[in-house]
Amino acid sequence: MSKLCMGLFSGSLDKLTAAGVILSGAAADDMDVEVFVLLQGARAFIKGNENKIDNLAEASFLKDEFLSSLERLKVSTWYEFFEMAKDLTNVKIYICSLAGKIWGGEKLEDFNDLVDDICGIGEYLTSAEEADIHMFI
Amino acid sequence: MTQEELQALTVNKSVDARGTACPGPLLEAKKAIGTIGSGEIMEVLSADEGTKRDIPKWANKKGHEYLGTVEESGYFKIYLKKG
Repeated sequence: MSKLCMGLFSGSLDKLTAAGVILSGAAADDMDVEVFVLLQGARAFIKGNENKIDNLAEASFLKDEFLSSLERLKVSTWYEFFEMAKDLTNVKIYICSLAGKIWGGEKLEDFNDLVDDICGIGEYLTSAEEADIHMFI
Repeated sequence: MTQEELQALTVNKSVDARGTACPGPLLEAKKAIGTIGSGEIMEVLSADEGTKRDIPKWANKKGHEYLGTVEESGYFKIYLKKG
């Protein structure tokens, strides 16, 4: 079984949605997945923040068009994509401890149910080293 | 298989994923294939152009046999035999 390692630096709605679509593909393929959430990404995983994420990293001047298209195409929310992927395959989500602290998350219970643990940067690099696919978003 | 042979197949499972965009049809296919037995036939209905290439590639990788695709008006039907 192949392994996907994802460094998720971004916490914007467009990039989280892209990450969710990629995780869905990995789930369809039964891949083992490890997601390491870094700096800006960690804000989205603080408990209660999942529905508050509405900024776009790119083409933010077309946000209304982007959001209405997602709705028209019945695209799942980023959170639903992550949940689905976790239901279908082995997906572990780790928050970088520094990133968590920046957004007020010190302990595992400060984060939403997607999160498996808090980790350090060494584990991310080891995972990337061992993975078949490594991507940074 | 020819279009006629595909149309004449007895399907054990039909998945209608026409309401969703990528990756919806792939996920629907992934979930549904677990519900049928080895050697059984599944069809996936999709209106998403990306699915036409995506599902055959996925199926081959996962050890299922891609039998072919039938184009209908506004959607297509992809036939797989579970490995």
